[in-house]
Amino acid sequence: MAVHDRTSLRIRGIGIALALAATLAACGDDDGAPDDTEARIVTVYTGRHYGIEPVFDQFTAQTGIEVRFTTGSDPELRARLTAEGANTPADLVMTADAANIELAAQAGLLAPVDSERLDGAIPEELRSADGTWFSLSRRIRTIMYSTERVAEPPTSYAQLGDPRWKGALCLRPSTHPYTQSLVAALLNSVGETETLAIVESWVANDPLYINSDTDILKAVAAGDCDVALTNSYYLGRLQNEDPEFPVAIEWPDQDAFGAHVNVSAAGVTANAPHPAEAIELLEWLATTGQSTFSNANFEYPADPSVAPADLLVAFGEFTSDLASVRRLGALNAAAVDLLSKAAYE
Amino acid sequence: MAVSRRLDRAPGWLAILVVVVVAAAPVAVVAWSLVDPSGGVWADLWATRLPGMITDTVTLLVTVLVGTLLLGTALAWVVTVHRFPGRRLIGWLLVTPLAIPGYVAGFVWLDTLSGPLGARGVRSIWVCAAAMVLTLYPYVYLFARAAFREQSADTLAAARSLGCSAPAAFWRVALPLARPALAAGGALVAMEVLTDVGTVRLFNVSTVADGVLRVWFGTGNRDAASELAVVLIGTAVALIALERGLRGRGRFTQGSATRRVGTQRSTPVATAGVMASCIAVLVVAVAVPVARLVGWAFEARRTGQTVSVAGDLAHHVVNTLRIAGIATVVCVVLGTALAVLVHHRGRVATVFGRVAALGYAVPGPVVAVGAVIALAAVDRRGLLPGGSLLVGSLAGLVYALAVRFFAVSYQGVEAGLLRVPGAAVASSRTLGARPWRVALRVELPMVRGALLAGPALVAIDTVKELPITLLLRPFGVDTLSVWVWQATSESLWVQAAVPSLAMVVVGMVAVGALLYALERGAEVVS
Repeated sequence: MAVHDRTSLRIRGIGIALALAATLAACGDDDGAPDDTEARIVTVYTGRHYGIEPVFDQFTAQTGIEVRFTTGSDPELRARLTAEGANTPADLVMTADAANIELAAQAGLLAPVDSERLDGAIPEELRSADGTWFSLSRRIRTIMYSTERVAEPPTSYAQLGDPRWKGALCLRPSTHPYTQSLVAALLNSVGETETLAIVESWVANDPLYINSDTDILKAVAAGDCDVALTNSYYLGRLQNEDPEFPVAIEWPDQDAFGAHVNVSAAGVTANAPHPAEAIELLEWLATTGQSTFSNANFEYPADPSVAPADLLVAFGEFTSDLASVRRLGALNAAAVDLLSKAAYE
Repeated sequence: MAVSRRLDRAPGWLAILVVVVVAAAPVAVVAWSLVDPSGGVWADLWATRLPGMITDTVTLLVTVLVGTLLLGTALAWVVTVHRFPGRRLIGWLLVTPLAIPGYVAGFVWLDTLSGPLGARGVRSIWVCAAAMVLTLYPYVYLFARAAFREQSADTLAAARSLGCSAPAAFWRVALPLARPALAAGGALVAMEVLTDVGTVRLFNVSTVADGVLRVWFGTGNRDAASELAVVLIGTAVALIALERGLRGRGRFTQGSATRRVGTQRSTPVATAGVMASCIAVLVVAVAVPVARLVGWAFEARRTGQTVSVAGDLAHHVVNTLRIAGIATVVCVVLGTALAVLVHHRGRVATVFGRVAALGYAVPGPVVAVGAVIALAAVDRRGLLPGGSLLVGSLAGLVYALAVRFFAVSYQGVEAGLLRVPGAAVASSRTLGARPWRVALRVELPMVRGALLAGPALVAIDTVKELPITLLLRPFGVDTLSVWVWQATSESLWVQAAVPSLAMVVVGMVAVGALLYALERGAEVVS
């Protein structure tokens, strides 16, 4: 009896970790392996997670290709894609920021796509030179001001550093890619010395940092600040709910380099299990799906020939800084350093 | 004889090694850069953000620790010694803030207080600390209450008979006796504060944990982030050591109390004061957040925002329960097994145990990325049948969650085992029982308190967890926390209300289970 106990218990002792490992492996059998012998499928890793479901549904209805997707933050999804390597289930990567898609391309995670449909629909400035990524919508990071308290809004990014906005400026923290890409665009347009001076003048105005464009606009409306920087579509969303929302857009630097353009972009992964379907989805998003993709979120379509949402007509025409878009990824590290140096929070 | 004894113990050591390697892999991957420290990165960090990060981290940590220790201990004491109407119910309800995730409490308070304090005033380290105290004090409360309940009434009576006033008896006898429990509760609070990245960002508090992600994800400079992560792990290790120190060498054994500390009849004024304080805490910590969430949930229903991209409420609840359930079982089995293996094996084994439990001292996103890297390395070997992959599988997700949270059950069982009287073990061995039989038949039954409390704490943590679930969940499997993130990352509080409430309800069920375990005579140990 004692001998029997001793043996069986010791085996149990050794085996607990192994048994656990086996259980985990057994769980793995049920998941992960897509059964794609019959249905056509495309898998998307997307850092853009608002308004994508209706777009994908429409694509599935028109093409019969099922879309599987997972959402997350751009850098974390990129880390996952890097780790997975050749085993990745991802066919398409979609980001909410130009720098993040370019960083994925620089890391060798994206494969070049040679497509006349894509090249025809998307302007050259809005796709990478080697065809690894294509913009699908434009979002303008612009000056927002209170229509109730500001008669003469600033007309350039630099003017936000004017002392008259001391304590009245709202900005998004430097952790956010939108802030980083704006500074990268300034670096591209006016160089390091001037960009540092601009950012330092913002910081000297003791800005209120809010990590949400929606909350920034609400803070402007509520009187917590008078001027701010946010993406254009956030005002579109708020004015769609309340046409009287007391905030307006001033397009900056119209006589110079123009308003900063950021993009939602996508690229086919280097190890895509379903590259044909991925290209089909990408082409569809750049053409048939352009209007749904951009307009549902009040963004400007990447294809300038596609009409933006009606609400955006009231925002007016503007000059935008298309020249910087492809450089935002390369300048990201410099932008982060500069923000740090300027003590931007 | 000595050799054969050593051989006897070899399989145990092997099992410990396997568990430690598997559990520590994600953290090890991240800490790897320590091998190649880059001086330039340190210099840059020191010149720019690091001093501010350290100041913020220390300020937040100290404030939240002081706040939770004061609130948790005071509540536990009055609930233990005062008799007042609804005492049992209030005693239970005081634990429920544990079910409210910090980031949910954070956005509720951010929105609620932006009116009176203004958008600028509300984004302060003090409001952040207050929100954290209100969700984290139950850790201290639970441990302190268990400690006070355990104390023998005779001890306090003796103190009183020796001339102590009632307050003096508390300060000089009850409180020092509860010190190990307070240290354990405080250690959990400290871990939560040090690894938080959701709540602090809402309030613009830039802690070291936030800095790890800022540097890592901001610049792609993984060396810098890893070095910051090492700072963070070092701090956590120091805190654990401090907790051990505070717990002290002394074993407090009290004459096994046939008379536990009983409730006393108090003056009507004192009773009213005690009740009012408890209810005030409940209103601020539970009623206000829940009321705001319910209000938003009705608005969500009115405006048709009660489903997410992945499905309806049932889909998210089922996935949340399934993932939390499996992860909890794995954490408890793994934690208990490791604690038993490590026990009686000396200092080296204890250190191994600490290493395996490091996942709890690291921010979730770091574990998430570390786990992806570790699992993907296994996937590349193609060891699994049928081309199955661990990354993106339920197994992979459960693994990463276990890495993060199994320390909660491990530390509970480990500390419990230390309190098993050596005589009980020795007599069993003398009677011929093998170590494993002693563990299963004598030691584990004696620490059933920790065994029962562990799963509830792990389940609550898993339900609230976000970054690991977000990065590692299988396709189409969204949990409540993922839904909350989808909404709150766009500041859509109304959309976040339904899943947040559901999460609170699920958490409260787990809290109920925890309290049931405690009422049945189990005790929280850590």
